[in-house]
Amino acid sequence: MTIAVIGIGVACGLGHGKEAFRQGLFEAPNVFSHLKREGREPPEGEIPFIGVEMPDPPSILPARLARTATLSSRAAISVLDEAWNEAGLETVDPERIGLVVGGSNLMTRERVLALRDYSERLAYVPPRHGHMFLDTDICGLCTATYPIRGFAYSVGGASASGSVAIIQAMEAIRSGRVDVCIALGALQDLSAHDLQAMRAMGALGSTRFADSPADACRPMDTDHDGFIFGEACAALVLCRADKVTGGKLYGEILGASHVADGSRGPEPSSAGQVRAANLALAEAELTVSDIDTVNGHATSTPTGDDTELETYRTLGLEHARINATKSILGHGLSAAGAIEVAAVLIQIEEGRLHPNRNLETPLDPRFGWVGAKSETHDIRHALKFSFGFGGVDTALVIGAPGTGRRRQ
Amino acid sequence: MDSDQIVEIIIAEIRETVPELAEQAIGRDDSMADLGVDSIERSEIILAAMEQLGLKIPMVQLHGPRNIGELADLLLAKSSG
Repeated sequence: MTIAVIGIGVACGLGHGKEAFRQGLFEAPNVFSHLKREGREPPEGEIPFIGVEMPDPPSILPARLARTATLSSRAAISVLDEAWNEAGLETVDPERIGLVVGGSNLMTRERVLALRDYSERLAYVPPRHGHMFLDTDICGLCTATYPIRGFAYSVGGASASGSVAIIQAMEAIRSGRVDVCIALGALQDLSAHDLQAMRAMGALGSTRFADSPADACRPMDTDHDGFIFGEACAALVLCRADKVTGGKLYGEILGASHVADGSRGPEPSSAGQVRAANLALAEAELTVSDIDTVNGHATSTPTGDDTELETYRTLGLEHARINATKSILGHGLSAAGAIEVAAVLIQIEEGRLHPNRNLETPLDPRFGWVGAKSETHDIRHALKFSFGFGGVDTALVIGAPGTGRRRQ
Repeated sequence: MDSDQIVEIIIAEIRETVPELAEQAIGRDDSMADLGVDSIERSEIILAAMEQLGLKIPMVQLHGPRNIGELADLLLAKSSG
């Protein structure tokens, strides 16, 4: 069963909503700087963390709910509101609508601040803290604010969580459990503790560009030295392609795969990535030669980029055009898969590929990298990768409206 | 500190916790339930008031008051005790 995307909501360093996203994707302004949110200060004497912080989400919740909603929750409400209204879900039976929130341990920055604030006065911990830091508080706020009554839950897939949420939403529709399912890649609100641990691990950049944040995030470039965090959040409204009745149709998810490659930690596996891609292509009843565009996971980490290039070579993707949305937005972690699929769908709609920022010396020049400017390109079939720590490999085959070979 | 001062502390915490009540007149004869304050918000308000009073007692000892005035009287008694 082919799944259609009929609504999109986005939030990132480019701003809130699709208009800021669309313009920013193709113009690719610099949004990277030293991180300034409270709770992201570096250890004493060390260089500041680099990344992207989004503007404060628009006020949608009643004040009474907003004051106990975390940044991750408020960003989720903002993107859900946008996607919900675009898809016109007010006419759908609430019991036939589901919600899958992608991401785990989402609100660690605010949790760390709360632990700090109450460490000396534990007796006065606000009772609301008993549920407001749960990932599923996002589910609760979303279903309390919008008539979603099929189900709502969260799923974890580390940096592939957004794609895992999309795949779970697809499964829920295919099984007949609901007719419409919203996949939401939630904002991973990292604390200094998380950032420092990933810096110590060697995953987080950038030591090389400590004084020039604009140059720090450079997926697939020889000067890359680690991923750069970027706050993001995105919601996609999915439904059966044969049930779309007018309204917006961004594209179709023709094939999807989510596999475990047997890694415990951050180490990537090209074998797992290739297996995911081949399974997704098989489900779409397409071959690699049908893929004209690749949107990489492409984090800007040396090991990750090298391994992903090996995957491209093994699959034979030299003919396809390739870009990395993280070069513009940074790495949204739990949100990355969802907002990057949104980026693919916007590129399909516009018939344009967004630039690769900072790709000055590609690691492997034989591939069809998009340059520093956006380019006209008729996308029919795109391959989208998302990978996560703990051996999570996902691949999605995304088609322009009406391009699926496999019909119901 | 007298009961009326504690009433003012409680009312200020009610307005902080439920911003929708910011403009509403609230007095010692009102009950939080009638104002639409839910049970978790009520606990949050009472804990915040207790912290301002430097009072550390289990919440179960504060069951019973039917309005803000009675709650203030009880908090005052516990503070003095």
